[in-house]
Amino acid sequence: MTSKLNTPPQADNEARNVGRRTFLKMMAAGAAASALAACAAGAPAEVAAPAAAPTAVPTPEAVAGAGMMRPEGNPVRGGTLRTAFGVTMSHFDAHQGGGTHVLSHMYNNLVRNNLVDGLRTIIPDLAESWEVGEGGLSYTFALREGVTYHDGEAFSAQDVVATFNRILDPPEGIVSPLKANFTFVDSVEAVDDMTVRFNLSSPRPFFLNLLTPTNALIYSKKSLEEHNYDLREVIAPGTGAFRFVDHLPAEKWILEANPDYWDPELPYVDGIELLHVPAWSDRGTAVLTDQADMSWNVAKETWDEGKNRPDSVQANQLANFGAYWVFINNRESPFDDPRVRKAIHLAVSKQNLAAAFGTQELINITRWVPQGDPYATTPEELSTMPGYRAEKDEDIATAQQLMADAGYGDGLSGVELLAAAGPQGELLAPAFQDMLKRHLNIETEIRIVERALLGSEQQSGNYQLMVHTRGHSVSDISPRGNLWWATGGSQNFGGYSNPDFDALLGSIDVELDVETRVGQIADAQNLLDENPPEYLVGYTYHLPMWNNRVHGLALDRRIFAEWGRMETVWIDPDA
Amino acid sequence: MSKYLLNRLLIAIPTIFGVTVLIFLAMRVIPGDPLQLIVSESDGIYVLSEEELQAVRASLGLDQPYYIQYYDWMRQVISGDMGSSFWNKEPISGMILRRGPISAQIAIMAVLLSWLIGVPIGMLSAMWRNSLMDHLSRVGITVFIAVPSYWLGLLIILFSVLVFTWRPPITIIQLWEDPLGNLSMTVLPAMALGLGLSAATARMARSAALEVLFEDYIRTARAKGLRETLVVWRHVFKNAMLPVVTTTGLALGGLLGGAVSVETAFAVPGLGKLLVQGMTERDWMMIQNLVLLYGLIYVIINLLVDLSYAFLDPRIRYE
Repeated sequence: MTSKLNTPPQADNEARNVGRRTFLKMMAAGAAASALAACAAGAPAEVAAPAAAPTAVPTPEAVAGAGMMRPEGNPVRGGTLRTAFGVTMSHFDAHQGGGTHVLSHMYNNLVRNNLVDGLRTIIPDLAESWEVGEGGLSYTFALREGVTYHDGEAFSAQDVVATFNRILDPPEGIVSPLKANFTFVDSVEAVDDMTVRFNLSSPRPFFLNLLTPTNALIYSKKSLEEHNYDLREVIAPGTGAFRFVDHLPAEKWILEANPDYWDPELPYVDGIELLHVPAWSDRGTAVLTDQADMSWNVAKETWDEGKNRPDSVQANQLANFGAYWVFINNRESPFDDPRVRKAIHLAVSKQNLAAAFGTQELINITRWVPQGDPYATTPEELSTMPGYRAEKDEDIATAQQLMADAGYGDGLSGVELLAAAGPQGELLAPAFQDMLKRHLNIETEIRIVERALLGSEQQSGNYQLMVHTRGHSVSDISPRGNLWWATGGSQNFGGYSNPDFDALLGSIDVELDVETRVGQIADAQNLLDENPPEYLVGYTYHLPMWNNRVHGLALDRRIFAEWGRMETVWIDPDA
Repeated sequence: MSKYLLNRLLIAIPTIFGVTVLIFLAMRVIPGDPLQLIVSESDGIYVLSEEELQAVRASLGLDQPYYIQYYDWMRQVISGDMGSSFWNKEPISGMILRRGPISAQIAIMAVLLSWLIGVPIGMLSAMWRNSLMDHLSRVGITVFIAVPSYWLGLLIILFSVLVFTWRPPITIIQLWEDPLGNLSMTVLPAMALGLGLSAATARMARSAALEVLFEDYIRTARAKGLRETLVVWRHVFKNAMLPVVTTTGLALGGLLGGAVSVETAFAVPGLGKLLVQGMTERDWMMIQNLVLLYGLIYVIINLLVDLSYAFLDPRIRYE
C-alpha cells in the first residue's frame, strides 16, 4: 500500500475544507455558490489538505431553509436503476436492525442529509421546518402537509410520536438499537396534528444528526399497532419515493416509483432493482459489464479497473464510519496499565497495517473521530502526530521507554491475539503480531476463531487482544464515546475507565458552542491518544463505482459513505 | 430386479438418516452462532441482553433440546415442508425450487459436455495409441484433471470481463423464460465444470477402450472381416462405456460439490451459491436441508448408475 492509496481525492479534501457546519454558515451568508464551486473543482492531489475546523453552530433556520433536493444537470425521467450489493436481511424492521440500505428507499426521516450536495447539509424531509427551544432543550418540528403512506393513510404527528416512543421505550420483545442514541430524550409529544416536539433532558448539539441515519425512519402508527409494534415480518408501508413491488430472497428487490410522493419532482427513475450481489468482486464486475448501474462498495481490483475506464464508469473512495480495531482487554494485566496500551498505540505502524490489508480493504488512517466528521483531525495534521505518522523511530523509542517504565522493558510473552478466520486473521493479525515483537518484544500467539464468535468472546471478556471491526452510523464522538469509551458504556467491553475522559465527554455531550466543542473534542482525542482504550487500525474507505449514465447522487463529491436513499438519481440514456 | 431395487432403497434409508444426523450435529457443534450474525445487523450500536437473546433463540426453536429440534426438522421434511430460513424467514422449499433448475441444468450440461469432448478423445486416443494425437490428448487430460474447476472459472470470468467487458448474468433467468439469456448464464459455469470432467471421462474411455480392444471377441470380429468402423462402434464402444457410465454417475454427485465453488466463482444464483450463503450466515436450517437434498440426489444417482448396468451389459442380472 502506498501513501497515495490512502490519500482521499481532491474532491474529498476540499469537501473537508468546507466542513458541514462551516458550509452552513457560508450558505447563510450567501456564499454557498462559491463554496460548491470549490468543492467540485480541482485535480487529484497527492497530499491531503487540512480540514477547516467547524466554527459555528448550525442555525436551524439556515438548515431548514436549505430547501429541497434538486440534482444538478437536466434530469431525465424514466429507466430503472440496477444496484449491486448484498440485499439479504433477517427481517424488515429498520428500527430492530433490518437492512436500511434496501428498506430506506420506501420511507422518510424527519430530516436527512442532502443527497445532492454530497451529504454536507441536513435538510427537511417529513419535517418541513423546526425550531430549537430555549437552551436547546426542545426541538419542535412542523410536519409536511399532504403526505400519505403507500397504503393511502395520511401522515401525522401521531406517527412520529408512535415511532419514537417505540424507539425510546420498546415494548417487551422488541429490540431497539437506536435507543442508545436517544437516552437524553425525555419525551416526544404531538403538539397538534402536524407538529411534534422532542423534549430533551439536556441539550445535544448533534441532535439533528441523530435523526439523519437511514434507520431513523418514520413508520405509521397504524402499521405499528396492527402488528403489535413488531414489523420484522412485514414490509410496512412508508411515505418514501419508492414502493415495494417484489422481493426474491437472496436474489433481488424490486421497487417502483411512488406516483403520490410528496415531492412531485421526485423520483426521476421508474424504479430500482436492488440485485443481491454479496461478493465485492462480483459487484465490481457487474458494474464494469453493465449488469448493474452502481454499487456502494466494490473490490479494489475491480475499482482500479473502473478507474481505467472513465469512458464508461466512474469510481470514488469515500470515508466510512466503520473501522478495524485491535481491542485491548483493559481488565487484564499488563493491559490495565495505560503505559502499555500507549506503547502499543505508538509502536505499531498504521501505515504497515494498511499496506498488509490493502488487498482486502483500503484503510483510511484516521484518529478517534473518523474522516467525514467536521471535527476530524486532518490527514496533514495526522501525518506529523505520534502514533499516526509514518516515521516510527521516535515513536518506537518512546514506546520502549513506556514499557520499561511500566516494568516490561524486556517485553512480554504468552499474550493471546484473537482474530477472525479469513483476512483479519491471515493479514492484519500477523502484521500486528510482527510489529509487537520487533518493536516491543511482545510475543503473541494468534488464536483464530469464526467471525461469528468474536462478538460473544468480546462480550464475555475472553480475550487479551482482539482484531475486530466496529462502527456507528453517526460520526460525532459523543454517541460513540458514550457507548465505547465512557466508564460503564454499554459497548465498553474492554472495561476502559478514564475519569478525565468521562468528564470531558459529559461536557462535549451538551456543549452548543462550536468553537468550545472543537477544543473539547481535540482534548478528548488527546486524552485517548495518551491513555488509549484500544488500538485503532483505521476506518475504512468505501469504493463506490457507477456507470456514466447515473447522475443525481453526487457520488463523486460525497464526504462520507451512506448506503441509503436515492430518489434524486436520474439516468441519462444517451451517456 | 424389484428385489434388488427394494434392497438398495432400504440401504439408502440408513445412509440418508446418517447424513441428517451428521449435518444436524455438525451445525450445532461447529463454532458460530446464527444469532450473533443476525443481531450484528443492527449497526453495531446495540448488544442484546441475555433475555433478548433467549427470546430470539426461542422464536427460532433453538431453545429446545437437540432431539426435539431434530424431530421437528424430520417431521417438516417428511411432510414436504423444509421449514424457513433462519436468516430471512423465507420457505426453503421455494428457494430450492427456484434455484434448483439452474444448478441441475449446469450439472447436466457439464456431463453432456464431458461426453461430447471426453468420449471421442478417449476413443480416438485408444484407437491411435502412442500416436502424436494420443500423446497430446494425454497431456491435455492431465492438465484439465489437475486444474480445479473453481480456478478455471475465475480465469474465464477474468478473461471475459477484461477482454469482452462481459460476464454471465447475475440474476436468475430460467430456461423456459428466456432460453438465450439462460444459456448465457449457464454455459460458462458448465464449461468450467465440464472440462475437468471431460478429462476424467476421456481417460476412463481410453483405458476402457484399450482393454476392450485386446479382448478375444474383438480379434474374432476383425478375423471375420468386419469393417473397423463397425468393430469399434458395435463392440468396442458399447463395452467400453460401462466404466464411463460409472465414472459419470459418480462425477455427477461430485458435480454438486463442484457446483458450489463454480457457482460462487461465476456468481450464478444456484443451489451451490445458496449453500455458501447459508454457511456465511450460519443459516442452519438452510444448510441442513440443502445437504440433505444433496445426499438424496447422490443416493438416487448411485442407484440409477447401478440399474443402468443391466441395460448396458446383458450379462448383468440383479436377481
